[in-house]
Amino acid sequence: MRISRREFGALTAAAVAFRAQRAAASDPSVFVTGMDLPATLDPAQTLDVQATQWALNAYDNLYRYEGNPAKMEPWLATDHTVSPDGLIWEFKLRQGVRFHDGSELTADDVVYTVQRLLAVNRAPAAPFKPILKADSVTAPDKYTVRFTLAQPYGPFFGMIPMIAIVNPRVVKPHEENGDWGAKWLASNNAGSGAYKLLPDSYVPLEKADLVKNDDHFMGWADNPQAIRKIEWRPAKVTSTRVLALLNGTLDMTDSFLPVDQVERIEKSSNAHVAKNATMRLLVIRMNNTKPPFDNVNVRKAFASAFNYGGFIDEIVKGNAIRDPVPIPTNIWGFPKDIKGYEYDLAKAKEYLAKAAAEGASVKRPIEMHVQQPLEQTVQAGQLYQSDLSTIGVDLKLINDTFANLVTNSAKPDTTPDMWIHWVSAYYLDPDNWIGQMYDSRYHGTWKASCWYKNPEVDELLTKARFTTEQEDRAPLYEKAARLIVADSPDIWIYNMIEVCGVSNRVQGFKHCPVGSGGEVRWMHLSS
Amino acid sequence: MLRFILRRVLSAAPSLFGLMIITFLLIRIVPADPAAALAGDNATPQQIAEIRHQFGLDRPIYEQLVLYIGQVLRFNFGESQYSHRPVGLDIRQRLPATLELTFAALLIAIALGIPLGVIAGVNHNRWPDFALRLLSITGVAIATFWFAIMLQLLFSMQLDWLPLRGRTGSGIMLPPEITGSLLLDSLIALRWDAFCDALGHLVMPAVTLSLGALATIARFTRAGVLETMQKDFVLYERAVGYPRRRLIWIYVLRNSVIAAVTQIGLLFGALIAGAVVVESIFDWPGIGDYAVQAILTADSKVMLAVTLLVGVVYTVVNILTDLVHGLLDPRLWEQL
Repeated sequence: MRISRREFGALTAAAVAFRAQRAAASDPSVFVTGMDLPATLDPAQTLDVQATQWALNAYDNLYRYEGNPAKMEPWLATDHTVSPDGLIWEFKLRQGVRFHDGSELTADDVVYTVQRLLAVNRAPAAPFKPILKADSVTAPDKYTVRFTLAQPYGPFFGMIPMIAIVNPRVVKPHEENGDWGAKWLASNNAGSGAYKLLPDSYVPLEKADLVKNDDHFMGWADNPQAIRKIEWRPAKVTSTRVLALLNGTLDMTDSFLPVDQVERIEKSSNAHVAKNATMRLLVIRMNNTKPPFDNVNVRKAFASAFNYGGFIDEIVKGNAIRDPVPIPTNIWGFPKDIKGYEYDLAKAKEYLAKAAAEGASVKRPIEMHVQQPLEQTVQAGQLYQSDLSTIGVDLKLINDTFANLVTNSAKPDTTPDMWIHWVSAYYLDPDNWIGQMYDSRYHGTWKASCWYKNPEVDELLTKARFTTEQEDRAPLYEKAARLIVADSPDIWIYNMIEVCGVSNRVQGFKHCPVGSGGEVRWMHLSS
Repeated sequence: MLRFILRRVLSAAPSLFGLMIITFLLIRIVPADPAAALAGDNATPQQIAEIRHQFGLDRPIYEQLVLYIGQVLRFNFGESQYSHRPVGLDIRQRLPATLELTFAALLIAIALGIPLGVIAGVNHNRWPDFALRLLSITGVAIATFWFAIMLQLLFSMQLDWLPLRGRTGSGIMLPPEITGSLLLDSLIALRWDAFCDALGHLVMPAVTLSLGALATIARFTRAGVLETMQKDFVLYERAVGYPRRRLIWIYVLRNSVIAAVTQIGLLFGALIAGAVVVESIFDWPGIGDYAVQAILTADSKVMLAVTLLVGVVYTVVNILTDLVHGLLDPRLWEQL
């Protein structure tokens, strides 16, 4: 095909005009992140890692988890007191804190925020509902907030960082039909955080731009070259996310980077991989009500048939810490003396023989549901399937989604034989894991989908939940963990090490298990 | 023609109504419960039940269906159970991006597929024909996601000619929205920088999406040309020395392309479906990715709205396809 000179000139001009513009990732004051955006920007409506990362930047809270290992740091509150009976908690607020609209943040705003949280009644409200009502939180004076709990509640203080304080003066004018401004705040911002949303930039799940709040109460003396603008540009597919990091159009991926991408990024000259221990547990559930899993020896056989070391070393490439207990290894209440189950197929066969003698045999195919979008669950399933076949167990892998599995967990007869998932950290209290997974009061929720029931464990977990002092609660959780491990209702694999791709120009990246390192205020960019 | 259009629209209405009911029932059969997702990790069964009641998910299914039909007839698609945003608003924001991508892919497929088909047909059993057959098989067989990643590796990573992802570049001020198409709106606003930026971002996704359609259109055109070339009028015009180029590109093409036009109507549906994968890989902010998120979070209102929308778009495209048929061959008016 012949091309005329005019056509050639046009093609060349087009090539020059269309030449990929290096995105703002080359601008030393603009940080481009590939972290996912939450489904809604309203902190009272969604509770997941994305929502937590959003709230860490756009909002403030009374206390905040910082660092790894995570510690509670005073944030909007300077200190707090608790009554001897554990019912009355008072928080003293800093003075002179301003919302993004310039109005001062006072105790009345905290009261409004909590009342709104309970009234909107979505995921973030669930942990508070057993202990708080609308009139449970009051403001005795302008800078004091008082919570009066319905009963003493050990996890309460650990849950305080989950409450992101919203500005009622901005939200109330947008209320519709008694929705507490939920519809409006889903796409807008009413915070006081280190960064403020540019409303016109927001496209749900696609992009959002935030600019530095120069008047943030923490000041910027500790980080004089702080990032001026955050461009939130989620990348939906791993390959695109990694390529964007490598070509400089993204400064940070999310913290669910597949381990097979680690080597690729580490070979690059302009990015590296940040690895940090988290408190995210990987668990294989067994439906304890469905034969043969109603037999403890069958469950122990299955617990002895998973190749923990092989999975962690070869598939996860060492990016995990073996955890044989349903409590993260790096939190109080973890019983250090428990060895847990080990990969031993001979022992697994022994347990199966014992179970068969008791009339519980594993003759039928066992179905294990894996989360099809999450490759690691599929890999775990395939490894397990291979090992189980050597001891005569037929494991069938069923692709499924988390939403389906959550629904099916509502009843014992619809809960699958086995399924695999992670349990993430939204508040750092053992109750978040062992309490909600093995207390039978949570039967019908996905966290308690093994349908384990042990009255002694219930009693221990309940007592731990309604005790306030950590030194009194820790032994209760440790004892409960020993009983649970002895009954082997599930298979606990690891405590995750998060792997996140970060551009070499990012400095000051600080990881915290809550928020997965998504707090931008500590970072700056080298040129 | 007007009577034809009216007949087509009226006959489509029951299909769309049926689509709405079937989709509603299918989604309700799927076990996923959005109330549990909304209630979150820490909810008790009582809290989940509260939320189920709040959203009317505990009502009898026929009651939910009647309510939903009433809403849809008022063009109210409800709110996303996950994001709490009006579904209609989300679709209005995203649909133009998908349509722009789909029409661009279709344009590429037609602009290249028809001429390639003609060339192959006219050069039957010679190298252009063999090349096209290879292209057709490749175009249909190649996995879209693989081809997309290959384009990214070559044009973005190696050559740095085209942007890796997204619909617009950072720092580009968008033109006022008139049509929803960034290309057209940029031209209307005489914004050459926005036009180039939009076109640069569109190239790889559109080429990726067009590959299968291009192969199909080329094959059907080739088959039509081969058949038409055997007709008596072609032999006659060749015998009397009619200019070959005119003969092929005007008379043979017009008689050959009807089958390809039919395919274009069918392909449009396939392109909308294929856009899901392309949008995900290139982070193109269309409804395909929106639909995927809805499926993963069991957001039934969104799933219903997107399914209905695709049905409407498909119906409109098929009506237009029949119109084009009629224009190409007026004898078909009576049959259609």
